[in-house]
Amino acid sequence: MNFLSDLAAIVRREWLRYRRDRAYWVGQLVFPLVVVGFIGFGLNGVVRLPGEGTNYLGHLASGILALLVGSGGVGGGMTLIQDRESGFLRALLVAPVSRSAIVLGKILSRVGASVALVLLLVAILASFTPLRLPHPGAALLAIAAVTAAFVALGIALATRLRSLESFRLLAGLVTVPLYLLSGIFYPVSTLPAPSRWLARLNPLTYGVDLLRYGLLDVHEFSVAASSAFLLALTVAAITVAVVAFDRGSRA
Amino acid sequence: MNPEATTNPAQRSAPALEPAVEAVGLVKHYGDVVALDGLDLTVERGRFFGLLGPNGAGKSTTVSILATLATPTAGRARLLGRDVVTERAAVRRDVGLVFQETTLDRELTAREQLDLHARLYHLDERPRRVREALAGVGLERDADRPVRGFSGGMKRRLELARGLLHRPRVLFLDEPTLGLDVAARAAVWERLRALHASGEVTIFLTTHSMEEADALCEEIAIVDRGRLVTRGAPSALKAALGGDVVRLALGRPQGAAEALARVPGVARVEPEADDTQERLRVTVAEGPRRLAQLLEVARPFEVLEVELHRPSLEHVFLHHTGRAFERDGPGAAA
Repeated sequence: MNFLSDLAAIVRREWLRYRRDRAYWVGQLVFPLVVVGFIGFGLNGVVRLPGEGTNYLGHLASGILALLVGSGGVGGGMTLIQDRESGFLRALLVAPVSRSAIVLGKILSRVGASVALVLLLVAILASFTPLRLPHPGAALLAIAAVTAAFVALGIALATRLRSLESFRLLAGLVTVPLYLLSGIFYPVSTLPAPSRWLARLNPLTYGVDLLRYGLLDVHEFSVAASSAFLLALTVAAITVAVVAFDRGSRA
Repeated sequence: MNPEATTNPAQRSAPALEPAVEAVGLVKHYGDVVALDGLDLTVERGRFFGLLGPNGAGKSTTVSILATLATPTAGRARLLGRDVVTERAAVRRDVGLVFQETTLDRELTAREQLDLHARLYHLDERPRRVREALAGVGLERDADRPVRGFSGGMKRRLELARGLLHRPRVLFLDEPTLGLDVAARAAVWERLRALHASGEVTIFLTTHSMEEADALCEEIAIVDRGRLVTRGAPSALKAALGGDVVRLALGRPQGAAEALARVPGVARVEPEADDTQERLRVTVAEGPRRLAQLLEVARPFEVLEVELHRPSLEHVFLHHTGRAFERDGPGAAA
């Protein structure tokens, strides 16, 4: 009971912040439209995807949405550093609120923001790409898992780093290879052998694939296996995030 | 350390109530830096208590430990009888904390800020309490502006309102007026005095301002380099130095010392060697009241100059540590 109301209070606060952050919404809306519009349309005529039931435009659009969800998750972890820099974190920590409510609140609010963003973008992209929402549950699971995993990653970094600059740098170093080797830009099956194996080891690959299933009804891997794996990943990521945050917040 | 420091008559007369704060042998290391080096401290309920010391003395570390934000390397501490390490959740409910640095969410308005905290402390009647808290610190007209645009004084008042919102039983204030201008500081002082007068809360304040400790606190403890130096009421600490000092330069000093020593309240009269002039240093209780009488007695010896020195906490600090106060202590950890 207390836990839920604490969680609600934390989510509410994060939402008040998002709502005012116009740059966030404009950036998150404009970036995918620009990428899909310019690169997707250009490559759509030259790229033929083997075996997939969609064109390159659909593939890229769904991939970019997964990228957006991932970077949103990292951003969620980054708010922890912002809270520490502003000092607000100390006020939060001295309140009788469990550490897990704080972490889960950050994850949930990001999932909420990402769901809203994906829905909005699918509505726009549906007008010129094959993106629809045939499997909303799969899309939701993919968004939740990717967000939780990246928030956990963000928090694990945030507890070790003191400045926003080093966080951005290191987060980029870690996440860019994950993005490149996850089937966001090309189907995993088209990659050369070593990259293909790396992509199969990359958890994000299954999140991208399940999101694609949710938005396009196409997939490279077993939907059931991906779902089970992502569910487990979500639980593991939340656990890691809570433990990392709890350790990091104890001086 | 003074062994009497941790026991206190009030504690013995009211054994049923645990003290507001009770710390025994607190040690805190940050890597190689020793922030606290065996601090013992007891604060009775309802007191306006001040922890005084130079920067780096360990004041903020003490507050962090007592408010459950840091774990001591050794020693233990209780707040209202509850252990600050093993009973964190219960302790947090009773604690209000106003930090040295700003701890507000800059993007939220003052009202949203307090509303969030009312939710986190599970308070009833949130809108009313938030409204009253804002009014209590004179921020009702700025309630719906984002904190980003607040001045330093407004932020501090908002922090104070937040620290008090859930009616804590122990309020910690870590350098509450640091960096404020005179008017803003006076506003904070006034609010704190009113709060203390209400008698509902123990106030635990840290400051490196002697003036602040002297003006506000009933009882102070002086810390230096992570250890307790001395403690007591500010007036008692000053009185322990022997009273006020009246320095007299006389034209014909022969026999003056004997005459002055007979004035009631005079503890001692010492000659003070000076290159140019012979002076007498008269240590006397209640200097301002005795001054006229002293001058009357001194008149036949031709008074050239008079100075009255009231002992300040600076003198107390100097007396106990052998160092002047307004210098930053070693080590960065505060």
